Amino acid sequence: MQEPCRLSTAVRIVLAVMVIVTWCAADGFGQVQAGYKAPRLAGTQHPDLNGIWQALNSANYDIEPHAAAPSPFPALMGTIGAQPAGQGVVEGGRIPYQPWALAKKKENFEKRLARPTTHELNETTGDPEAKCYLPGIPRATYIGLPFQIIETGSQILISYEFASATRMVYMDRKPEAPANSWMGWSIGSWDGDTLVIDVTAQNDKTWFDRAGNFHSDAVHVVERYTPVSPYHLMYEATIEDPKVFTLPWKIRMPLYRRIEANIQPLEFKCVEFSEEFIYGSLVNKRGQ
Amino acid sequence: MSHRFFERICSLLPAAALLTLSAQVPAAGQQPAPKAGQPAANAPARFTVPRTAWGDPDLQGVYTFATLTPFQRPAAQAGKDVLSEEEQKALEEQLKKKQEENIATNEHFSYNALWFASDEGRPTGRTSIIIDPEDGRLPPMTEQAQKLRAEMQAKTAAKRIGKDQLVDTWEDISLYNRCVSRPMPRVTQEYNQGVQILQTPGFVTIFYESMHDVRSIPLDGRPHLDSSMRLWNGDSRGHWEGDTLVVDWTNFSDRQKSDGSAPFGGLPQGNMHVTERFRKANANTLDYIVTVEDPTVWTRPFTFYLPWRGDDPTYLGPDDLFEYACHEGNYRMMENSITAAQAVRAKAEKK
Repeated sequence: MQEPCRLSTAVRIVLAVMVIVTWCAADGFGQVQAGYKAPRLAGTQHPDLNGIWQALNSANYDIEPHAAAPSPFPALMGTIGAQPAGQGVVEGGRIPYQPWALAKKKENFEKRLARPTTHELNETTGDPEAKCYLPGIPRATYIGLPFQIIETGSQILISYEFASATRMVYMDRKPEAPANSWMGWSIGSWDGDTLVIDVTAQNDKTWFDRAGNFHSDAVHVVERYTPVSPYHLMYEATIEDPKVFTLPWKIRMPLYRRIEANIQPLEFKCVEFSEEFIYGSLVNKRGQ
Repeated sequence: MSHRFFERICSLLPAAALLTLSAQVPAAGQQPAPKAGQPAANAPARFTVPRTAWGDPDLQGVYTFATLTPFQRPAAQAGKDVLSEEEQKALEEQLKKKQEENIATNEHFSYNALWFASDEGRPTGRTSIIIDPEDGRLPPMTEQAQKLRAEMQAKTAAKRIGKDQLVDTWEDISLYNRCVSRPMPRVTQEYNQGVQILQTPGFVTIFYESMHDVRSIPLDGRPHLDSSMRLWNGDSRGHWEGDTLVVDWTNFSDRQKSDGSAPFGGLPQGNMHVTERFRKANANTLDYIVTVEDPTVWTRPFTFYLPWRGDDPTYLGPDDLFEYACHEGNYRMMENSITAAQAVRAKAEKK
């Protein structure tokens, strides 16, 4: 009788998963959240979000819907570096650009790998990811590499493998940003079990993805991290930037817990990977 | 250095004021006995280290490791390991004056006072940060390391025309100035010595403002990374010995070559093995004791002691650690350095 019993348990699990999946597809993740209560961080009333997390999607290629596409250098790299297809993470599919900004986005994409032969070009052209510049928010979340949430009772540090980027999230008070920066200024709060982070004071140099989607220094991002299972956070970010968009808009994606027993943050210190791209022309141009 | 010696240093340090330490460390005979009236007798009561909600000793806080004490003992102070209070005060004033003079006279070629404003570094009371060997100086280098160092110096010298050190490519600039990485362990730095310790169940995290580096140190006893995996900041494993966090630190990269920003000789770090000990000495001080072993570079291990201070007015809270974007602002430096080298070479060829 052992075998049939086990089988029926497995079947029940499969059915339950199917029900949940259908339910989510129909009603959104809010429903799952209602049924899941994350464990508390010792000594606090708040959910314990500590761990190493990673997005599993192609948003870093393009946050809008996109078909598969070849790498920028198919003759050198073949299939490696090609863009996977993705349905996008923008609610409603499209980013509400002002007309000039849509044209700028297209130009960004066309010149995304233009060699920065002058300081001015370096400041204004090219995908900052190619240059290993700090990725900004929200791109750091889905740039493809793991990140660690370090949540203490009074504060949260998010540490990203990409470029060893970091951001401090102030939970216990609201200090003012002393200046604009690449990763911005993060003030956190709890909305029930959802971690809400209000991000301001970002500079205008970071992008949303490799497709050239961009913002200005007026960008205001409100992120929401909601635990929906022991292994998943639902991530949402509302983006507001009256200089570039006609309306606020929203992205949404699950984040996955890395559950390997030996998981630990590793290094992706990419400065040295970027230097020939950034400075190579200075040497080649005049230093024959 | 014997194991017992190190254990003795560590057991003494947290229990007593720093000046007391020097009076009790075995002095190998040649050092003057501690003078009467030194504060050994008034050692403060042992500090009760607070606990986290899950029971670990709580080391959390924002600290600075800025200090005016030199890494190695200056020749003028040979044979003397601690300073009297008056000597310490005089040294502090002298060093601050020198720093102010440097800033005042170097307006075009140095950082201005803003960069150094945070460095209210105080002397530790000792004449050097190194506490072992007993002469407060780095041990002799191995022959192999001396040879390598000479080769590296010759390579640098070959890129010099007159007074100009030429930068033909970005690779002629130090890893630190390229913002690739800054050597560990962090000891002497001119600015941005802010550091924060955060604790979560199973991890201790050290966040260094400089180079926005984060070390997430697992406490679960897992083995080190495979030896083929070499990291700029190495691989750390921690455990508690009483109130002391002990971190075993390996898997450094041979490509990590410390430059002037770290006093470790500017040599590849691939064989370096570091043992760190962290312990709260009092509410505002975290004792940091580090032993460095690297038989390819040093003929014997050495140990340094550097208190991290939690009461520096510039590093009181986490918002005093600001984003250290570095590589992001390097284009002009590279452009100027490379084109300057090209101009110098062109001029030299004409002659």
